[in-house]
Amino acid sequence: MLTLTVNGRKRDVQAPADTPLLYVLRNDLDITSPQFGCGLAQCGACSILLDGKEVRACITPASAAVGKEVTTLEGLPDRWAKQQKLSPEQAAKTLHPVQQAWIEEQTPLCGFCQSGMMIKATELLEKTPHPSDPEIKAAFTTSGPSAHICRCGSYYAIVEAVRLAGTIMAKGGAK
Amino acid sequence: MSNSNLTVNQNIHGATLSRRGFFQTGGALITGIGLLRGANSTNSLNAALPESWVEIHADNTVLIRTGKCDFGQSSIYTAYRQIVADELDVTMDAITTVVAGDTDTTPDGSGTFDLLGRGVINLRKAAAYTRQALLEIAAGRLGVAKDNLSVKAGVVSGGGKSITYGELVKDQNFKLTIPVTGDLTTMFGLVVSGNPPMKPVSEYKYVGKSFKNSIIPAKVTAKETWVTDVKVPGMLHARMIHPATLGSKLISAGVVDKKRFPNSQVIVKGNLVGVVAPTEWEAIQASRQVATATKWTEWKGLPGNGNLFRFLRQDADWKSAPVSRSGKSKGDTVAALKVAPKQHTATYEMPYMKHAPLGPTMAVGDVKSDGTVVVHTHNQNPQALRGQIALMLGISTDKVIVKTYSGPGHYGRSNGGNAGAEDEAVLLSKELGRPVRVQWMRAEDFQWSTQSSAAYSDVKIGLDASGKISSYEIDHHMPAMQDDRPIGAVLAGLPTMEAPSEKGQRLANITNGNSDAWVYDGVLNLEERAHGTYQVGQRQSPIAVGLRDHSMRTPGQFQQNFPREVAISEAAALAGADPLQFRLDHAKEPRVIALLQRLRAESGWESRPSPQPKAATTGAAALKGQGASVMFRSGSYWACACQIAVSPSTGAVKVEKVTMVVDPGIVVNPLQLKRQVEGGIIMGISHALYEELTFDESGITTKDWLSYPVLKMSETPEIKVVMLHNPEVGNYGQGSEAANALCAPAIAAALFDATGKPARSLPFKPAKVKELLKA
Ligand code: FES
Ligand code: FES
Repeated sequence: MLTLTVNGRKRDVQAPADTPLLYVLRNDLDITSPQFGCGLAQCGACSILLDGKEVRACITPASAAVGKEVTTLEGLPDRWAKQQKLSPEQAAKTLHPVQQAWIEEQTPLCGFCQSGMMIKATELLEKTPHPSDPEIKAAFTTSGPSAHICRCGSYYAIVEAVRLAGTIMAKGGAK
Repeated sequence: MSNSNLTVNQNIHGATLSRRGFFQTGGALITGIGLLRGANSTNSLNAALPESWVEIHADNTVLIRTGKCDFGQSSIYTAYRQIVADELDVTMDAITTVVAGDTDTTPDGSGTFDLLGRGVINLRKAAAYTRQALLEIAAGRLGVAKDNLSVKAGVVSGGGKSITYGELVKDQNFKLTIPVTGDLTTMFGLVVSGNPPMKPVSEYKYVGKSFKNSIIPAKVTAKETWVTDVKVPGMLHARMIHPATLGSKLISAGVVDKKRFPNSQVIVKGNLVGVVAPTEWEAIQASRQVATATKWTEWKGLPGNGNLFRFLRQDADWKSAPVSRSGKSKGDTVAALKVAPKQHTATYEMPYMKHAPLGPTMAVGDVKSDGTVVVHTHNQNPQALRGQIALMLGISTDKVIVKTYSGPGHYGRSNGGNAGAEDEAVLLSKELGRPVRVQWMRAEDFQWSTQSSAAYSDVKIGLDASGKISSYEIDHHMPAMQDDRPIGAVLAGLPTMEAPSEKGQRLANITNGNSDAWVYDGVLNLEERAHGTYQVGQRQSPIAVGLRDHSMRTPGQFQQNFPREVAISEAAALAGADPLQFRLDHAKEPRVIALLQRLRAESGWESRPSPQPKAATTGAAALKGQGASVMFRSGSYWACACQIAVSPSTGAVKVEKVTMVVDPGIVVNPLQLKRQVEGGIIMGISHALYEELTFDESGITTKDWLSYPVLKMSETPEIKVVMLHNPEVGNYGQGSEAANALCAPAIAAALFDATGKPARSLPFKPAKVKELLKA
């Protein structure tokens, strides 16, 4: 049995230790935001944060997450609330700035890639609060195991949304 | 509460309004179809489920239903609500629910394509009928003649009185039955007939404004149920073992190593092999083990992608299908060409491309003990899928329900009713008597799905002494574009719709049509011909598979517009003319002229002939070029300009700026149209620079995102979308379709402008561009 910490909660998992984290999250823990896109670390649809760093859940064995903090799209609002020390009432009605920006900019087309994109954006903005456009593009293209692919072509909207998310974050979360 | 003025059955512009008793609480007016049950497919296993399009509720909310699904176009949650809000005279917020896709809860069928053309007209007419019915009811209730009533935001007023739609239906049970034609479970579904009075464009309040897509918050907050999330009690996980080649038959299926995979089992049906297990990880591992022990016959019957165009030109059978001549063809091109002082003759090639949804196809099949079938999927044409599943199993369509969910965009691949995994999931479930989830792996989705057809076109253009086109001839060649046979049924040897042939009905016919509407009306002699043939390998494959094709964004027209527009740019160069001005000089349609003038003004276009004065093929500096393209599709005019930079040393092409001008007629939702066009542009650059299916003599060798690269975010250019709102045209323009197709010809023209070398064969990968520069 493995014990994982996912979005701030300890969860026991019966799956074999070599099971890719993606299947453990989706099938055993009902955390379904990471998607299966390739299983080959080539697309970014399955991205999650492991101790704040983007990793590909499709090739990460569940055992590699033991003792680390797993954050998925489901956990972004809490992550932000904690960072901002929001009261429980405030936290309950606050989305992560990245999510706010994604809605405001109407970024998703089919949306299948966007969980991974928002995870990447969160990783980027936590390190680089005001990235330039080339920095944003580089983050999504060359900073991880592969480029984050959006087959629908939402790249332009993503760049705009990351910019906006940075602005929202700088203001402490208010749009 | 009772309404004495209302007759039981009332004719509303050809629809029938009836009242069936009273509701204890609530109340509604439900607009739906009648008479089809029994005579044709119904939409439900349960006769109590609604077959409605529009429902007006006592609390003043409105529900709409559509058989279309959202694949990222946004239309069903934005444009559809806007169009209904205007037609019904209610607010956008009043339309609280959009029911989409599921065959047991939506009325009309047909595919998720042409969403704002044929796609929305049913709902719009249903709303228009509903408004008339509500006015009729209000006239009775208020005692004011219908002609003296007006509606604003769901409130009917007249003669100094007013009443809300909600009050009109409160505690009542109204049903409005509207006339329809068509066949629910075929490609094009039902069509609402009759002509209810519809709102003039000038009175639109919601159409034309930006609204956010109501499904986005759920997707952004992980609240949406994606198809990938579906879990059915007792569900098993499966992975398929597809044949070794596109023509292999099964010799023997491997056996599960029960020591390692005690809970897995192999299911075989004809040439269909699947491995099922209680957990996904075991199914993946066991299927890999079984695959290595599974034996298939050898087969070679494809030309290989290196020989594709030689094969198509010399060996393919273009004689079985009649040649189609476009309706605009006219004059005597042969005679005009003979006397033309300048001639341009060239061939243009487009490779096979993949739809390549970001998530490989998956579905859950659930064949119940009473023989009914539920399919959970993500499909652009659920009703057509329903027909295919029923055909495969030899059961009535009434026994099949297709449930659809959000999923990765398919770009047309599933618009004829299947995306790949659905029929396989059903067959495995039938064998096991339990629900089965089939998920294709990445390689399978590249190798066992359909692709966008390859094509080549021969062009001959004659210029007269003044440098204008006196003769234009084009011969388009493309293998059959639409193969909707479910692959699992084919492999299992079960009934499917017909394979494409010269005898095939409608889309299953291999005859190629002229899809690229001619826009240069000033040309006097024009000959456009389209030649069709079988899919490559289809008749050679012992299992009738081969390279199966399917419509993809801007289908057929992409294959025909690319050669035309590149040839027009090259003809302009031959004439020594600026390629934009050259197009203007041959256009007569005012919308085309306005479009091109706007493109020139917005794109930073340099008015001069191509190639550019500093065009070169060598040197350290990047070479700059510009190119343009034009298209007419679904009532919309499109024009595109691309500025690019080519590196002569590496052959790398960088698209620096794209300007897209679209005149869709009515711009329904500027915000969403802009996002759609941007997405289409990104995909279009990807098509132009990277996309090409590779295959050898046996099958597809493309297997992942390394062997099928697509555009990356770092390559996103500056994008400018210009929308020309042209409401008097009356057409609701489409979004991402067309935008993808305009990029390739503009980029090809820009490459020619930068280097002086004609670029006629897609894609423009660095190695090919380097070869081009050496030529
Ligand atoms: S699914 Fe993990 S990177 Fe593609
Ligand atoms: S929005 Fe469809 S893949 Fe990115």
